[in-house]
Amino acid sequence: MAIAHGEKILKYLEENGKANSLRLSELWNEDHQKIVGTVKSLLCLGDVIEAELHSTVKWDLTEEGKQVTTHGSHEAQVYNAIPPSGSTQTEIMTQASILNAGFTKDMAKVGFSKAMSLGWIAVDKSSGAPKFIQKVSSIQDVVQEHLKELASGKNMLTNELRTEYKKRKLIQEIIVKSYEMKPGSSFSTSVTKQETDLTPEMITSGSWKTKEFKAYNLNALGTPVPRGHLHPLMKVRAEFRQIFLEMGFTEMPTNNYVESSFWNFDALFQPQQHPARDAHDTFFLADPATASDIPTDYMERVKNVHSHGGYGSQGYGYDWKVEEAKKNLLRTHTTAVSARMLYALAQGGFKPAKYFSIDRVFRNETLDATHLAEFHQIEGVIADYGLTLGNLIGVLYEFFRKLGIEKLRFKPAYNPYTEPSMEIFSYHPGLKKWVEIGNSGIFRPEMLLPMGLPEDVSVLAWGLSLERPTMIKYGYDNIRDLVGPKVNMQMVADNPLCRLDKHRGTEIKEPDYLQELDIRMDSILTRLRGIENEVSKLKKKDKGSPEKLTLVIEADPNYPPLSVQTLIRILMASRNAPVSVTIHQHSSLKKACSADLMQWAKSTISNVSRVDNLFNLTWIWKPVGPRPVAKVVNHYNGDICGETAVARLLARILESWTDCAFYENYDLNTTAEIDDWLDMWENCIQSGDPNFVVLINHIYNRLNCSDGRKWLTGVLPGTKSLADVFLSTVLGHKLNSDRAKEWLSRCNSF
Amino acid sequence: MPTISINRDLLFSALGKCYSEEEFDELCFKFGIELDEVTSDKLIILKEQGTERSEGASEEVIYKIDIPANRYDLLCLEGLVQGLQVFLGETGFPPFKVIPSQTVPQRLIVKSSTCSIRPYAVAAVLRNIHFDQNTFNSFIDLQDKLHQNLCRKRSLVAIGTHDLDTVQGPFYYEALSPDSIKFQPLNQTKEFTASQLMDLYATDSHLRHYLPIIKDSPVYPVIKDSNGVVLSMPPIINGEHSKITLKTRNVFIECTATDLTKASIVLDTLVCMFSRYCQDQFTVEICEIETSQGGIKNYPILKTRQEKIDVNKINRMVGINEQADKVADLLTRMCLTATVAGNGCLSVTIPPTRHDIIHACDVYEDVAIAFGYNNIEKTLPSTNTIAAQFPLNKLSDQLRDQLAQAGFTEALTFSLCSKEDISDKLRKPLSSIPAVHVSNPKTLEFQVARSTLLPGLLKTIAANRKLPLPLKFFEVSDVVLKDRQRDVGARNCRKLCLVYYNKSPGFELVHGLLDRLMQLLEIPLDPTGTTGYSLKACDDATFFPGRCAHVVFAGATVGVLGVLHPEVVTSFDLNLPCSALELNVEPFL
Repeated sequence: MAIAHGEKILKYLEENGKANSLRLSELWNEDHQKIVGTVKSLLCLGDVIEAELHSTVKWDLTEEGKQVTTHGSHEAQVYNAIPPSGSTQTEIMTQASILNAGFTKDMAKVGFSKAMSLGWIAVDKSSGAPKFIQKVSSIQDVVQEHLKELASGKNMLTNELRTEYKKRKLIQEIIVKSYEMKPGSSFSTSVTKQETDLTPEMITSGSWKTKEFKAYNLNALGTPVPRGHLHPLMKVRAEFRQIFLEMGFTEMPTNNYVESSFWNFDALFQPQQHPARDAHDTFFLADPATASDIPTDYMERVKNVHSHGGYGSQGYGYDWKVEEAKKNLLRTHTTAVSARMLYALAQGGFKPAKYFSIDRVFRNETLDATHLAEFHQIEGVIADYGLTLGNLIGVLYEFFRKLGIEKLRFKPAYNPYTEPSMEIFSYHPGLKKWVEIGNSGIFRPEMLLPMGLPEDVSVLAWGLSLERPTMIKYGYDNIRDLVGPKVNMQMVADNPLCRLDKHRGTEIKEPDYLQELDIRMDSILTRLRGIENEVSKLKKKDKGSPEKLTLVIEADPNYPPLSVQTLIRILMASRNAPVSVTIHQHSSLKKACSADLMQWAKSTISNVSRVDNLFNLTWIWKPVGPRPVAKVVNHYNGDICGETAVARLLARILESWTDCAFYENYDLNTTAEIDDWLDMWENCIQSGDPNFVVLINHIYNRLNCSDGRKWLTGVLPGTKSLADVFLSTVLGHKLNSDRAKEWLSRCNSF
Repeated sequence: MPTISINRDLLFSALGKCYSEEEFDELCFKFGIELDEVTSDKLIILKEQGTERSEGASEEVIYKIDIPANRYDLLCLEGLVQGLQVFLGETGFPPFKVIPSQTVPQRLIVKSSTCSIRPYAVAAVLRNIHFDQNTFNSFIDLQDKLHQNLCRKRSLVAIGTHDLDTVQGPFYYEALSPDSIKFQPLNQTKEFTASQLMDLYATDSHLRHYLPIIKDSPVYPVIKDSNGVVLSMPPIINGEHSKITLKTRNVFIECTATDLTKASIVLDTLVCMFSRYCQDQFTVEICEIETSQGGIKNYPILKTRQEKIDVNKINRMVGINEQADKVADLLTRMCLTATVAGNGCLSVTIPPTRHDIIHACDVYEDVAIAFGYNNIEKTLPSTNTIAAQFPLNKLSDQLRDQLAQAGFTEALTFSLCSKEDISDKLRKPLSSIPAVHVSNPKTLEFQVARSTLLPGLLKTIAANRKLPLPLKFFEVSDVVLKDRQRDVGARNCRKLCLVYYNKSPGFELVHGLLDRLMQLLEIPLDPTGTTGYSLKACDDATFFPGRCAHVVFAGATVGVLGVLHPEVVTSFDLNLPCSALELNVEPFL
């Protein structure tokens, strides 16, 4: 069927060059929807035809209206049902429904009232019960005539009648969608049914050779592939693990979360009163509460070095208690394992070694967006004869180079078990400052010698957390979004590869998530700006013409609001539209205004009525003091007081008229900067700094900086904004630095 | 790391030089301290209490500086300035001296009653001192900093300072019952007994933290003069009577302690920092301490130590190559006055302010700092080693890859959880679980170390119910179990756990994955269970009856799989069938 129609349409197109679906439906007396269906199936064939969708509005009869065309209007039907002698309402209604079975009570009600008001019928109460009688001998059923005309395709109805009939539900507005067609680039008059896909039968029978196949929609997305994923933190762990392995480090067995205080603290020469050993910072265990077995000789040596010193040390000079050392805890660092490894290394006859580990550690800390009670510590350890601090620095450079970090700096620090100790800083190009990325040092002899390591063996070590670089790498600002059962697993699925060294060279990606946040914030703001632009464009489209504005401003001649005047001039110049400005002086003024005060602005057109003007300004000089008052007629509620507030209002109007960025059309940051400048000016006024010393200094500082800044606000070199126009106008005469003067001349050339 | 607040203008005037913020920050970095924040009283009050309260507060710039925890000598303006000036080579290190009393030395008699509560006391006198408001404030601040850090919130050491001219030695340090101690404490207008003071200060935001140090003891420590005037009740409060003021000329300092070494360090630090304001600069008058055993010891010790340090060893440790005299200069700049002593050795003087120097390695570090960490040539160690992975981690990672390839997604959950998570919610009594219990958890979430990975995965499902079904998660990680064989009484156990959550239980799918894992591990199916692996039906309260089996490998149970019990499902706020497998990884190594 569709195909047959399709060929018919194609043939028609071949003969006529173009076709309209509505026209065809009339021509072939076919339902329009069927034709439309055929057109759509033709469109699926590719470029056989081109079709454009048109929608037209058409008035058509409702079911009720159709009835009127055959049986007459409701009032006519009522009239016709009345016998010459008259009859009761019930009888008439019965009679009417005999004449027309479709005549309902509601229709009858309408019929009675219409017939009455037309004066066709009347009520006769002379014989007791009220009877309806025909008042006129004949009627002309205009309604029926109108509807018949409409049905025949003529549309002569006046707007009033159309509205009335629509209200009476006799006619309705329908939207007709039709296709306007013409032959496409691969036009042909024969159509074959297209197959959706290859089937096994087609392959067996070879019928694929003669079939045509429907084109794929390559713009749609494919079906998601079922798949599994590794966790992002574990991917970063794998990367760090790989780096250590590349550098020849052996992985330590860190699968022991429960540790004794001895290995976690005492072995590391961390005194028993050290704050880290407080219950506030460390998880101690209730069960198993204590460790049973600590190597006796070694423990004795540790005890001695703590309480009395030895190995060249003064010791801490306190009463070391074995009970404290036996307290079990959840290890606070993997260095506890390093201590066990170094002890084992000493027992088995020392050989140089390089160890690493990446595993969980526990801190009884207050939790926040970047801290959890457990996290992963990355640790590297090198033990060899004659290692130096220079070696540690060298190794750290190589290690961080593999992470794509090239610029390092080291700060002296304190750590109970390393001496020297160094905090590792890397330069952050985004923040333009050095940020801490890890800790490092050389283990103290008081830690190593009691283990039995040879005296000339040094042990270098460094550590950092795994979570922090991961949060930086993937841009998390809350660690709970990364670790723990609340993690959104879709995030895990969507997470990219971990290639820490990808940003090498000039575009080093430094580990500070602040910058990541900055970048995300920027991209969000950019998108917001885009949306704002769209919205304002749509608004404008909607409006067609800019909003008209009628404004009354009261200002004191002793404090002429220069910025407001400048902005009004700019507004007037911004659109070549009729503007009317009238300037008055109020009777309460003690002395008359000078001529230039009275003529500071000129109307562009004065012979047009105020109603059609785009902008009407009534300016009244009045002793209002330093804060001018603006009233927007028919617009806002309340007065707008103060020069900055009026300036902001005018800036907004300017933006709405011209679509330029001047104040709030800038991004949020710039807008906030502009507000800051205006607020500073306002503060000067309020805090009684009549000379604007602070503000002027700010302007100098801003402009005198040798960073090429041209305007007060916006990213370098800045963009001209309300702040520039406002401050240059109100403070221009007070500024005298060279750069400020350059700025003033820039400001004046709007 | 302690943070001190220093008035910038006072600091610069003491240093005799104005720095820009960047310059000072740079100096701090090199010296090993950190300029943490630049603020003012006004800004601080503004931030904490709002605009109104900040009206009228001082706008003078305050530098907040982080000091390494072992540098007690830098905790006040006086010490910081001295350290920096010496570091910059602008001044030498002053010679501190203990001088005898011109009459009879002050004596503090320690009674044996203190042994049970706070057995040690030391003392010293600063003679003819002259305070102004700034130095007086600094004196008080330093005591506070020492109390918070070295004194471990007064538990190890408590400092009391008194106007010597208001009291009469000798002084007695004893421990008395709380009701027999009665005096007018600092800043109060009437007398209180010690018991009353405990109540009075129970709500004091500052002092209440120190009450527990002595509160439950039958006797409280107290220091009185020979007339019975109470100087202090350490570690809580001093007496009003002997309060020091700007007009005080002679200061009696006592430190009571549970750690004598620390008490001596505190006393040394305090007198070294403030003896500069004495008429006879850098001198401290001796005090005699009669110990509870009856012997007499003199304080402050102010010991200056001499160490012989091998220059070659310094060069070797730091990785530099400097001449002895140059190294001596570097050390002198760190307040460790050093001279070349021959034989390639330096004679290094460790002053009483540098109690942090306890080993030659501390001296090496100061050389490195003075030389500049960032001036040290970076070299690579020649240590040649062959890397190796920890076999258990290697196997775990290989299995993780395979599970992800099988379409499961990795979760990463916490090692700590609530007792309920591993017991009630899994329908098992807590007593049956060899779990490790934390004694001081701050929240319920940290009560125990997990004994199974299942609760974490079920919580992960609960948090991800909005994702399209089926949910397929896994985790390969450690659980912790009590184990008496281990020195600490517990061990980690590497587990592999996976869950399948869908409208149908999917037992066969989880079973299939187990088969796949065994295939990867080259372990054959062996229903006899002696060499390969097999499944044995079992009862496990966590699983639905008749829908649960043990995984048996080489004769031992190494895991369990099955359909979770509906009550387990609902206790984790879930409502669909769920299958799970938990396997011990270690037997497959």
